[in-house]
Amino acid sequence: MSRRRRFSASDRSEYLQALVTEFQDTDSEEAREQVLANLANFSYDPRNVEDLKRLQVTELFLDMLTEESDNLVEFGIGGLCNLSADRDCCDQIVQSGGVELVTGCLSSRREETVLSAIGTLMNLAVTDTRPLASCDAVLQCMLRFSLSRSPRLRNLAIVFLMDCCTQEQVEQAKQQLQGHTQTALGIPLPEASDSGS
Amino acid sequence: MAAPGSSSVWSTPEVQKHHEQQSVCHTRPTYREGRRPKAVKVYTINLESRYLMVQGVPAIGVMSELVQLFALYGVIEEYRVLDEYPAEQFTEVYLIRLQKIQSARAAKRNLDERSFFGGLLHVCYAPEYETVEDTREKLLDRRRYVAWSLHNKVKELDKTDQNQGEKSKEATMGQTALETQKSIEACVEGDRSDFSSFRYPLLPPPPQERFPPYSEQTLVKFTAGEDNMGSKYHFMDSSEQPPPFTVQKPSYHENTLRRGALPAARFIPRTTHLENRKRKAEEASKTLFSGIGGKCETLIGPKLPEPPKLDMEDNSLNITAGLIRNTMKKISSVPEHKSTEKKSAEKPRRRI
Repeated sequence: MSRRRRFSASDRSEYLQALVTEFQDTDSEEAREQVLANLANFSYDPRNVEDLKRLQVTELFLDMLTEESDNLVEFGIGGLCNLSADRDCCDQIVQSGGVELVTGCLSSRREETVLSAIGTLMNLAVTDTRPLASCDAVLQCMLRFSLSRSPRLRNLAIVFLMDCCTQEQVEQAKQQLQGHTQTALGIPLPEASDSGS
Repeated sequence: MAAPGSSSVWSTPEVQKHHEQQSVCHTRPTYREGRRPKAVKVYTINLESRYLMVQGVPAIGVMSELVQLFALYGVIEEYRVLDEYPAEQFTEVYLIRLQKIQSARAAKRNLDERSFFGGLLHVCYAPEYETVEDTREKLLDRRRYVAWSLHNKVKELDKTDQNQGEKSKEATMGQTALETQKSIEACVEGDRSDFSSFRYPLLPPPPQERFPPYSEQTLVKFTAGEDNMGSKYHFMDSSEQPPPFTVQKPSYHENTLRRGALPAARFIPRTTHLENRKRKAEEASKTLFSGIGGKCETLIGPKLPEPPKLDMEDNSLNITAGLIRNTMKKISSVPEHKSTEKKSAEKPRRRI
């Protein structure tokens, strides 16, 4: 974890402002990636949340989810995962119609992106936007993830199914899934019934 | 059960992407350069973990030194060599599980890229070794921490607002504070000490037994008179001493004050024990001296100031006392030798 400079509150705000300005003004792809990563890391610390909300960084991260560069998407969703621990940011994501964008990240090739997306959806589900974040498609996706080879993906999906939706919803999703041969991320489903969690 | 077969113990663990050390970024403009050169990487709570993987440890039998080094940052619950993990020649890879994620973060921050017995350590998180419960706990702790931190901030803002007298701001803050307070009261149960190490990484207080670091500021904000372990401890009373962390008797502090320099259940030097016994012996002899007349009828000559039954609180000393008493009884029948024996009886007990 990068050690942050010991700034006072006002210095910190100015620094974050400078970062956002550079991000908007620069043409260099490399610089954009670096600044985005910085902002995403800053989102981890709750002390910065006020400043980042004021600078509308949530919107910035959401915009990144539509970019073509895998790096930008990964850093963007990572930043959202960090920020979504704050309730206001969750509300903002929902209001901006960002839930579909986040759900879209579940199909990414990069594991970090998928994990961050699950993390964000979990935070969204916890802050009373349950119906949006745990629709059937998402639940089916989580069920598929809970059988994944990757332990990180498995664990997160299982925790999502445990904490973010009701038992009935899970059962419903399981029934819809049975008989399907769809795969998620190229992982073939087992033939037997899935008692994943 | 369609459990993936590749996760068995015998298969070679995959080298995960987050284990690889990325190259450091050199193209940052000066205003964005940190103190140490770093790669471009984003850390989320999913990536961080109590489990650390340490690569590049020279294979020269330095496991205990390595563990000691990591133990500086927190309690280590488990550690082992990952023999099956692909490693460079002559190096070993270790997996270390720390008790708290904050310790893991601190250890990683400080020990990554550190020179160690001639090798360069590469420390990274290893969240793939977590269990489902570990992951769940980690996420819950994170949510609690953020809620607490924001609640704190609101509280601070409230105080400054009260000082400045801006009441309009207070109203809105109060509303959000109420909301966050509800979520906090639902979430925060007893992990306040953890928060202290999140916000205030303090050095441990001056060496006193059983006093791990505990933020005074956190105490002021949360505990009115009870720390998270339930012991009734009033912070205001002991501004000089670091507050007790472990579960102790509620009256621990009062015991300390009563005994003066000797706190209860601590190491009491033997000299003190002996002095205590001597004091008791003197008191007992004083009380018994008055009633001794009736019991010494068989004695010939002046009464001896020895109590007939004195418990020295030690078997060996009791035996010694018994022997001396018997000897004196024998000798007291011969009047001339009494004075010398009396002196020998009052010699200080031999310290064993």
